[in-house]
Amino acid sequence: MIERRDPAPPPVGRVVATEQKPATPHQFHFWTANETTIGIGAIVRVEGLGAGDSGRVVYGVVTDGFAYSDLATPLHDVVGAEGDPARAAENPTVRQEIRLWTAAVLRQKPEEPLQPVPLGQVHVASDVDVAQALRMDGYLGGAEPSAIPVGLYTSGALEAPVYLDADFLLGPEAAHLNISGVSGLATKTSAVEFLLGSIFQHFPPHKGRIAAVCFNVKGPDLCFLDQPGALDDEDRRRYERLGVRPQPFELVRYFAPFKADGVNLNTLRTHPDLVGDVEPLVWGLEEVLDFAEVLLNRDDIDAKADAFIDFLSDRVLNKEFDDGFGGSHRVQTFADLDGLFRAIFDGLELTGRSDMWRTHHIATIRKVRNRLSNISTRCKGLVADDGPSNDLPWGSFEDRTVYVVDVANVDPLGQDLVFARVVSRLREGLERRELGVDAVVVFVDELNKYAPADGPDTYVKKMLLDISERGRYLGLVLFGAEQFRSQVHRRVVGNAGSQIYGRMDMDELATPAYQVLSPATKIKLATLPVGELMVRHPHFTQPIFVRFPRPPVLRGRDGVERFAPAADLPFAEAVARQLWRLDRTVRPNTVRDLVDGRDEQDVRRALAETRRRRPGDVLAYFRKVLGSRVAPDAAHERAAVPPLGVITDEPY
Amino acid sequence: MSRSWVDAILAAGVVPASYVPDASLGRTDLEEFTGADPVEDPELRVHPLTGARALAPGAVGFLDGIEQWRVAGYAGVIPIVRAYVAAAIRLRGTDRRPRTVAEDAAELAITRLDRLSDAVCRALEGTGVRVLEISAEDAGQPARALPAARVEVQKARAALERRLAERRLSRLGADEWLVTDGVLSDSPELSAHPRALGVVKSHGAEYFDGPELERALTLPALHRTSVFRPKPRGARREIYSWYLRLWPWEGNDLLYGLLRVEARAHPDTIALASRISAWLVSERAPLATPDRRWDRLLYPIHDVETYLRARAPRDLFSPFGSRLPLPRTGS
Repeated sequence: MIERRDPAPPPVGRVVATEQKPATPHQFHFWTANETTIGIGAIVRVEGLGAGDSGRVVYGVVTDGFAYSDLATPLHDVVGAEGDPARAAENPTVRQEIRLWTAAVLRQKPEEPLQPVPLGQVHVASDVDVAQALRMDGYLGGAEPSAIPVGLYTSGALEAPVYLDADFLLGPEAAHLNISGVSGLATKTSAVEFLLGSIFQHFPPHKGRIAAVCFNVKGPDLCFLDQPGALDDEDRRRYERLGVRPQPFELVRYFAPFKADGVNLNTLRTHPDLVGDVEPLVWGLEEVLDFAEVLLNRDDIDAKADAFIDFLSDRVLNKEFDDGFGGSHRVQTFADLDGLFRAIFDGLELTGRSDMWRTHHIATIRKVRNRLSNISTRCKGLVADDGPSNDLPWGSFEDRTVYVVDVANVDPLGQDLVFARVVSRLREGLERRELGVDAVVVFVDELNKYAPADGPDTYVKKMLLDISERGRYLGLVLFGAEQFRSQVHRRVVGNAGSQIYGRMDMDELATPAYQVLSPATKIKLATLPVGELMVRHPHFTQPIFVRFPRPPVLRGRDGVERFAPAADLPFAEAVARQLWRLDRTVRPNTVRDLVDGRDEQDVRRALAETRRRRPGDVLAYFRKVLGSRVAPDAAHERAAVPPLGVITDEPY
Repeated sequence: MSRSWVDAILAAGVVPASYVPDASLGRTDLEEFTGADPVEDPELRVHPLTGARALAPGAVGFLDGIEQWRVAGYAGVIPIVRAYVAAAIRLRGTDRRPRTVAEDAAELAITRLDRLSDAVCRALEGTGVRVLEISAEDAGQPARALPAARVEVQKARAALERRLAERRLSRLGADEWLVTDGVLSDSPELSAHPRALGVVKSHGAEYFDGPELERALTLPALHRTSVFRPKPRGARREIYSWYLRLWPWEGNDLLYGLLRVEARAHPDTIALASRISAWLVSERAPLATPDRRWDRLLYPIHDVETYLRARAPRDLFSPFGSRLPLPRTGS
């Protein structure tokens, strides 16, 4: 992929140094002809020729440019043109001009002793030079190469592939990637889609298996990763130059919660041709209770409530539990939990013995009941009151597979819950080495929202900080994207070993986070065309501009045009569709007849159970489960309830 | 060669020196009254350039030269001068950017050989540097030796420019002109060529007196005088000439913005005088600032000078630092 250097190409410039603008070990200046391919971001090679400099080679990247003529003062131009700008252009002689460039040193060879840049000839960097300048030679070859193509460095007619080091992009040396850029210019999502494809094709075999979990938080952005997108010849040429096959992801699994009706999926990937691939994401009490902190407002959940929730998790959930009033409970669902709460309240009322139940005050119990009961209401479709859950395939993640979790249309509270739980499970799985893969890339867009620079310390923010700071040891890698980097928590962006910048807003560039960039680099960033990025990577001592091809997958916007989302199906049709996904022999009419007149909650419960068990005969099992749960409980006479004593604010 | 021959004579016993004369003002015109004959009008008149269509050659070569010198050392009281002369032609084509098409340079030693010791003479001869000699009378007195050396440097520069110009004339394209900084009449070839012009900035020579002189020196801006023929003297060849005012002199000086143009002595020159003048007026811009002669210095000539100075040996320029005696070290 790296092409050999042409023999002795002519120099394009010469280093100049004055007392006012000397050459230093980190910066130098050079001039070129007025017509030159050199521009901001160009990589150049300086060869020392003079005494003491012979053999010294310095690589630099252009960070600023200046042009001026021998005009002593603008007034002289006015005088010469007699005040007429049109005449100034008609001067018989063009003034002497200079193109003077400032370059930051990328690398010096030899590296010791570190000396000022020699006043030598300046050459345009070749492929080999780019590899040397960016220190890519250390990981492009050798016994265990770890190079991941990220884009093409382009300068004039020269194109050179630029690679990131997998050890520094995906751990363990450094990790994480942060992408900034204004919305709507195909930067953030496209760059991640391209880079994920590149990672999947070039992830070094010695590093094991890798997967990606992508949270789709807006529109149809990530809903068509398995569908081919439109590429032109230029894109294909760039793919070839980068050594990446231009093909959509081969293994993609989509997960989306249900809508409030519990049977239609809450995603834009509902076209009949595609919706069969989308698996419902449904969680029950067990999945939610560990993350109650995410859902409960810190203002009204105090230490007492925390203690009671912990009690429920440790002592009650999934266990045979005696409520102390003669009742036995096995709490597995929100409905079971509510039954326990009712039994406690009834028992306390009937016995009238105290306001306390197992050291927990009844007010605390009522508060927790109120908050937990609301969760299934607030996250309806994602959290089920009753019935089994359907989750990501923990423990059996597959190599080179993308898991898309579509929470674009989910309530923000539900998004937080999904994010917190999925990332926690990923972390647990990687810690125990039982996830099925050795590394997972987690892509989260809108980091401004999930890890804002200011605002309260939410569970999600703490979790993102934890991944940023410790994830690289586990193989849990965060690819975060945001529009305004300055508005993301600085430890989240600061821990990203690699950073990508698309076109930036000038106001954003004026913030202190960008003060290390030269004014010219900022201007280039503010006007970057689609498909061009600025990359920072631990091996690159200066930011590098690269171009990347369009991702080989269908863009979300194009996807919803080609695969228009289907309208929500009637309840019976939606149930039939869900069953058909499990067994293609299931006939909709049969399902319609089966669920006709049944309670919808019972049908949903039966559907979830069927989905969980995945039986051989889907329809038979569904019929069986449905039949076993439709019999109503017999009404029983309730004993008279004596009044409780006065409830005080003091629980003890 | 620059340092080697200086090092050699210093090693031979010459006392080092660092006298650098004031910068050269370029070649000057003759400083005496010579007179002129009218050729366009019966007497010197003023011609406005209004309506004159400027000549627009496809390509123009501009010739200029520089001279730099300094006293490299003294053998007794005899100065040994190190001089550098250079000349170049920069051709301006349709892209309006001058490019060097011819250049030459020479380094010289100027002294009086018979006043030097044998060792110093041998050292000079051994290095192969070209030596110009000043007269024995001038060499005896340092106050006269240095002006004499300056004259030798000027002669060497003029000869270099002339050689370069004459070589270029033989290759001048059909639509190409050659403009020299200074007089044409030094060279038979230049003074006879139909597309050679001399642009003279200094006005030491006096061709008129009385009302004609007043007309010439109070010429309004964007006007020219009648074409006249300076009376030939000595080796100078016959040429036609006229005055041209580039900028208004009022508020400045009589010579402000005043050029004297030389061209071949031919009727066509009279026919073209206004068009050539309009062309030269168009060369006012861009201004040749920051050169203090910008009111008369054409920018392309300034460009040639800048080019030559950029390539000249740096140690011949005036030192930036003090000329206070250096502290002695060692025993």
